[in-house]
Amino acid sequence: MARVAIDRLSKTFPPPTKGGDPVVAIGDISLDVEGNVFVSIVGPSGCGKSTLLNILSGVETPTRGSASVTEGDRPAHLGYVFQDARLLPWRTVMDNMMYVRDDGDAGAAKAALYLDMVGLSHTHDMFPGQLSGGMQQRVGIARAFSVEPDLLLMDEPFSHLDAITARSLRDHLQELWSATRKTVLFVTHDVVEAVQLSDRIIVLAPGGRIFDDITIDLPPRSPRQKPLVSRRGWPLRASGRRGPPPPSRGTRRR
Amino acid sequence: MTDTVAESIQELDQAQVLRTAAGSRRRRYLAVLLGWLVFIGLWWLLSLWVDSEARLPSPGRVFQEIVIILQGDFWTQFWASIVRVVAGFLAAVLIGTPVGFFMGRSKYWGNFLQSPVIVAGSIPGLTYAVMAFVVFGISFWGPVLAVGLIAMPYVAINVAEGVRGVDRRLVEMSTAYGRNETQVFRHVTVPSVLPFVFAGVRLSFSLAWKVGTLTEVFGSSKGIGFQIRRNYQLFNMPGVIAWVLLFVLFMLLIERFILVRLERRLFRWRQWEREA
Repeated sequence: MARVAIDRLSKTFPPPTKGGDPVVAIGDISLDVEGNVFVSIVGPSGCGKSTLLNILSGVETPTRGSASVTEGDRPAHLGYVFQDARLLPWRTVMDNMMYVRDDGDAGAAKAALYLDMVGLSHTHDMFPGQLSGGMQQRVGIARAFSVEPDLLLMDEPFSHLDAITARSLRDHLQELWSATRKTVLFVTHDVVEAVQLSDRIIVLAPGGRIFDDITIDLPPRSPRQKPLVSRRGWPLRASGRRGPPPPSRGTRRR
Repeated sequence: MTDTVAESIQELDQAQVLRTAAGSRRRRYLAVLLGWLVFIGLWWLLSLWVDSEARLPSPGRVFQEIVIILQGDFWTQFWASIVRVVAGFLAAVLIGTPVGFFMGRSKYWGNFLQSPVIVAGSIPGLTYAVMAFVVFGISFWGPVLAVGLIAMPYVAINVAEGVRGVDRRLVEMSTAYGRNETQVFRHVTVPSVLPFVFAGVRLSFSLAWKVGTLTEVFGSSKGIGFQIRRNYQLFNMPGVIAWVLLFVLFMLLIERFILVRLERRLFRWRQWEREA
């Protein structure tokens, strides 16, 4: 089980224009995520959601504080789904899947398996340019799952897609997640999406602070089963109770 | 029943698409052919009007000369030119690629190298030709140096552009998936720069040929440029035009059958990028 430990983390970027103020993307966040949970991070744009994932994946370095992702005693193995597919356009779909892994033929079988799970087994030898945006994103998702990560980072993976494609990919994701039960950190600005998918929702406020930390208690989730949010936008509990939930810090109920 | 009807409709559609494609290809070839015919026709009329073989020989006369040259020592001369151009060109790529790489990679080197490279690129080819002659006299190395100098800035500038254009998002993706620097260089940087290198090569290739030939006019005892000068000194106008035409013809052939094919093969994936 992967453990994400974030301790008083902050990240400040240099001012975008000369003489401007430095941009605070993350201001002093502490967070603990452990176990096979699906955690969503929601918040308005510019509140440091993507920066947080980039720090966890090693793309950015923190200004202060620390963030670590461990699996037992070793650093955890990561998968990352980006807003855009980020496939190498000069490599075929299968070669893209193989780029992120270091094993040979054994890996190819695994890559093929996950491509099959997202319904793209016919695209092995195609180039990304031959696929639609939604299909490319599916390759990106398959790639992330195929490395069998301890922790899966997803950065608004459906935000660039049309509503229908996004919904079908969300269902794909839910199936894949139920089958594999990875620890997932899922960044989104779509509250309904967060409620549909997550066990726990962390709400960030502008300035990169944690505004709220909500545990969702709704085992079988499907948008077709029950209304998930009240008219005011608050998530509904299984019991149907309405109203702002008490801030509960990182308790896992399952 | 409906299925077979639908299938046959689909087949008809496909056949239609193929036919249209074949038709447009035919029209394209026809246009090329027509262009040549008009050009030769105008030339012929002009030569009738000038009516002097020493000034403007007719197409038929030049064609005779071409046949004579092809039966004679054309291949020796052509080979001499091509070896020099290719040697100079290889030198340009070997030097220009790392120079361009540093220009694109670091701001310091970019600033350091930018002015010399731009100056080198804007000096007229004739200067290089004369300079090469002054340095080497009549020798094999003159044209090589001139070709190398003229082509190098183009290669360098294109490579620098390519390195600057490497998609940062792909580099981030590679970092997130734990790829090391060698892997990123090999699988992200090189493939994204390669089309730019190729563009630089194609752009400077015709330029290199021109300068190479020009240098042969001054400082060589062999090659196409030398033959053009020799025929000129003998007042053999059909010979001059015949050599020039052969030169143009082989440039086109090399461009069409080697460079374009190689490009298509290397960048198969780009075909889909453009359509997407």
